[in-house]
Amino acid sequence: MTNPLRTALGSALGSALALALACAAGGCGGETQDAAPAGAAAAPAGLRLALNWKPEPEFGGIFEAERAGLFAKRGLAVERTGGPGAPVVQMVQAGQVELGIAAADEVVLARDRGSDVVAVYATYQRSPQGIMVHAARGAGSLAELFASRGGTLAVEPGLPYVKWFEKRYDLSRWKIVPYSYSVAPFLGDPEMAQQVFVTAEPIAARRQGADPQVFLVAESGFDPYTAVVITRRESLRANGARIGDFVLALQEGWRAYLDDPAPANAVMGALNTEMDAETFRLGAAAQAPLVEDDFTRRHGLGAMSLERWATLAKQLRELGLLDRDVDPQSCFAEPVLQD
Amino acid sequence: MSRFTEAVLPPAATFVATTLVAELAIRAAGVSPLLLPAPSAVARAAVRHAPTLWPALATTAQAVAIGLALSTVVGLVAAIALASSRWVERAFYPYAIFFQIVPIVAIAPLLVIWFGYGIRAVIAAAFIVSVFPVIANTLAGLRSVDPALRDLFRLYGASGWARLTKLSLPWALPNVLTGLRVAAGLAVIGAIVGEFVGGGGLGVVVLEAMRQQRTDLVFAAVLHAAALGLALFAAVNAVSRLTLRRWHTQEKDA
Repeated sequence: MTNPLRTALGSALGSALALALACAAGGCGGETQDAAPAGAAAAPAGLRLALNWKPEPEFGGIFEAERAGLFAKRGLAVERTGGPGAPVVQMVQAGQVELGIAAADEVVLARDRGSDVVAVYATYQRSPQGIMVHAARGAGSLAELFASRGGTLAVEPGLPYVKWFEKRYDLSRWKIVPYSYSVAPFLGDPEMAQQVFVTAEPIAARRQGADPQVFLVAESGFDPYTAVVITRRESLRANGARIGDFVLALQEGWRAYLDDPAPANAVMGALNTEMDAETFRLGAAAQAPLVEDDFTRRHGLGAMSLERWATLAKQLRELGLLDRDVDPQSCFAEPVLQD
Repeated sequence: MSRFTEAVLPPAATFVATTLVAELAIRAAGVSPLLLPAPSAVARAAVRHAPTLWPALATTAQAVAIGLALSTVVGLVAAIALASSRWVERAFYPYAIFFQIVPIVAIAPLLVIWFGYGIRAVIAAAFIVSVFPVIANTLAGLRSVDPALRDLFRLYGASGWARLTKLSLPWALPNVLTGLRVAAGLAVIGAIVGEFVGGGGLGVVVLEAMRQQRTDLVFAAVLHAAALGLALFAAVNAVSRLTLRRWHTQEKDA
């Protein structure tokens, strides 16, 4: 969270570069077929999975499934790739990887731009995105915060939820600036607010002596599924069974991670030394209610509803981010049920 | 053929040919517009998002102009100071090189902490990456003054000021302009990097377009930045022609 190299520029250049590489390696036509036919393999079937960030609690279930051999048990060899700034949607679209992690709003936007990506598993039922402020401001809600005396709001340029805020609240007293993935400016300015993942920045800020308060973006009514596993519909057709097995293994991984995050946290902590064990522990605890709720207790971890996708597509359309109506049914698929 | 046709026709032909080939190749390959938009899609995005692109271009242009002006003034003064004695040069030139090698990407977030969000951080980024070419080229020019002419000035008892303004600077002018040509392009890059963290201008349009999966708009914004660099390059060339036409062979035949 605080690595200065992980700046907006880093991610932008990384995206451009990785995009070029994706084109070179996978072919920009997106016509590459998955190598093996569905379910034919006796040797472990390979699946490449592009993450969009460093190992953090948001990927807990993936690392737990890997650690506990849950993928291997189903005959899968999952190769992790990607990282901060990786253009995951483009990598999946180009066929460079079979699976990737993205947010639901990215799926709808990509489909609007002619892409064929679909979501197969939603890690967060409630978006872990939030706005962090100093508790001393004394705001009781997002609405109160934006109605208060104003300040500086650091967010990644182009985030759909910021457009949503602009529509719902009066942000005229707020100066909106780019977020450069460091909490340093926040720590130094009592009037500053910034975007966060509830599992990361607020914990870091508290440990550096601040007294942060976080409002979930979901509170504003904009609540896309987040840390969603995406694939191409074409991959689903060719390799539906394999992707279905992946989803089942991932569900088991998340079940185990929710019950005891410590083993997978140790694995992730060794890969991401910027976050210490305590931050991992607190992050895992903070996200648990966003991962498991009444809906997942009825339908299983990672399940999605048409209604939620329809709401999101409608909101993005209202914000002028879509050029056409996107069919919410086309945005997601539940391969386990289909097979 | 008129001089104008001679100057404009070859680059225009290259442009039309490359654009056409790119358009046909991208269409034939059926590339997803998310990955690589065809030139026609980029052109459509440029028209459709003109209300976003033009004000952003103006913002970036302002920061680039101020950053480049600072680089020119600071670069000239620094080069004159460095050329004043070997001792000064040895003492300070290695540190001037710092500006050449500073990884602007890494320090850009710090510029925001030092200068605050907004145009000042952007100007600082444009200045940092564009000042060194001015210093280095001016210094090379000042150092290459014909020794015979230098002796002549000394013989006639010309003052230091006269030697500088009547001999060294005019002599170094082609080098100064070469430095500025290089600096102009770098200043645009510096400003875009600065905007990624400081906010405003084409830099933010690029980030927004990436986040919203509008690859066509990313390309359109990048082309606007490139056009800005080209315009500055042309401006330096125009200054070069006006100032050097009378005495330097470099521009006489052009």
